[in-house]
Amino acid sequence: MIAPYSHILILASLLFLMGAACAAARRSLIMILIGVEIMLNAAALAFIAASLRWRHLDGQAFVIFIFAVAAAEVAVGLALIVYAQRRTGSVKADDYQQLQG
Amino acid sequence: MLIHWLDILPLLILSAGGLAIFGAGAFLPRRPSWVLFGLASLTALGAGLAALLMAPGSAAFLGMVDLGSYSRFFTILLMSITLLSLFFLHRYAQVRNFAGDELFALMIYAALGMVLVAAAVHWLIFFLGLELLSLSLYVLIASRRRETTALEAGVKYFILGAVASAFLTFGIALLYAATGTLEIKASLAGVSQAVPMPLYFLALSLIFVGIGFKISLVPFHLWTPDVYEGAPAPVTAFLSTGSKVALFAALLRLALNLGEPAWEMAWPVLWVLAVLTMALGNITAVYQTKVKRLLAYSSVAQMGYLLMALVAVKQGSLPALLFYLTVYALMDLGAFGILGSLSEPQADLDELEDFQGLGFSHPWRSAVFACCLLSLAGLPPTAGFLGKIFLFWALIKADCLILAVIGITTVVFSIYYYFKVLTSLYLRPRRREFLITPPDLAVGLASGAIFLLVFLLGIHPGPLWSVIEQISIFLSR
Repeated sequence: MIAPYSHILILASLLFLMGAACAAARRSLIMILIGVEIMLNAAALAFIAASLRWRHLDGQAFVIFIFAVAAAEVAVGLALIVYAQRRTGSVKADDYQQLQG
Repeated sequence: MLIHWLDILPLLILSAGGLAIFGAGAFLPRRPSWVLFGLASLTALGAGLAALLMAPGSAAFLGMVDLGSYSRFFTILLMSITLLSLFFLHRYAQVRNFAGDELFALMIYAALGMVLVAAAVHWLIFFLGLELLSLSLYVLIASRRRETTALEAGVKYFILGAVASAFLTFGIALLYAATGTLEIKASLAGVSQAVPMPLYFLALSLIFVGIGFKISLVPFHLWTPDVYEGAPAPVTAFLSTGSKVALFAALLRLALNLGEPAWEMAWPVLWVLAVLTMALGNITAVYQTKVKRLLAYSSVAQMGYLLMALVAVKQGSLPALLFYLTVYALMDLGAFGILGSLSEPQADLDELEDFQGLGFSHPWRSAVFACCLLSLAGLPPTAGFLGKIFLFWALIKADCLILAVIGITTVVFSIYYYFKVLTSLYLRPRRREFLITPPDLAVGLASGAIFLLVFLLGIHPGPLWSVIEQISIFLSR
């Protein structure tokens, strides 16, 4: 490996933090979903780096599963959001506050 | 390599059953809901019986799925939960016109995810099971899609759940980076010189955040009341028992496998979170005027009691934990299931005033509801009383006296709000006419079974206790 292993972990952590910040700060449901996808990709990057370090294929196999799961999550999530948008006319997270105690 | 496919028969039955329901929905004209319901119930029953009767040939399947007595116990428990939820769900969905094939098939797939989570000994299976469970639940919560509240609950659970599972995935990635193995036991136990400690602890805390969200521990519980209120009541019953039992089973396995230095760091955190969860869950429940939200906070508090006993899990509180987990599943399932059955077609009964006089106009179902509430409050002679006694006794024996005292205080405090519901049921005059649909045979069977079991386990816990003790001895060996 040319790049040191710790650098890749740091890059992955930065990516994860950026995704988390996007999910926490943006109010649009679509942007939150994108933030979550970035967090999952950061996990995939960390897996690949670790897999090269330990010289197993387990980590890389896990990444394929992460991609599959992320795709399924987007499919379910977008379906929900599109349907909710049709019912309420909004994709802003703050507009969903009918349920309160 | 010879693969013993029969060892994972319960998992195979569940997968095939889910596909069969989707197939029936696609090919049968007009999709009669009793066929779909029958297929789903047979699947859950078959998987439970397979786990009960088949002795697996090896200890683990390809090093991925545990086949031991611990996971068989949880498979049977989860299948019973699924079956009872299906019994409550069928009538509810039929009356409200959303009993399609996707509803029943997703229930079965969620159950498969739960079994995988409870039985996983490899992080990959844990991850896949958790995602299968969560993705099915997102859709199930929003399955009454003409209701804006159900849709809102689905969106909220989806957003927070997706963030939580991203935390969990990154945690697993860091754990793999730190230890170089994806086997749960090896990755948690081995702390050698090579493992960088900060990375290891960061990984563990990220994983704990992910799990803590799913079982709604206190800093991560904010979704709980909204989702429980918006989702259809039988789905709430399934969500609040099945997914929590499965995740708690996984958390227990993690705690038991956690090596010595990490456990020394972990148990004070668990201690604080347990106190917070018990206290905040019970205190917030008092201020609720809606019964579903009240029960949601009460289930948060119940998770606090379980977490409290988890602190002492290395000093032998495991049998008490497993017993209380079983009892919790029964009584919470009963409470939410009956709540669904006692609801009117337009909207679920929710405000405390709506329940006034219900105890006399619908005496049977109200009696089951009341006995589940008494059990949640922990009054004798119900199973909840005995379960709490076992929990606190295990804690006192493990020298966690302060925690036990705090726990007992919150239990006593919690009796107040359960009685608020009971007074509305029995002691206040009826305010209006109810349009509650009469129960069918399945609801009757399910509520009868829960009623009997809540009292049976409260009076005669011996058989279940001896099974649980054998499992704990086997695990701690």
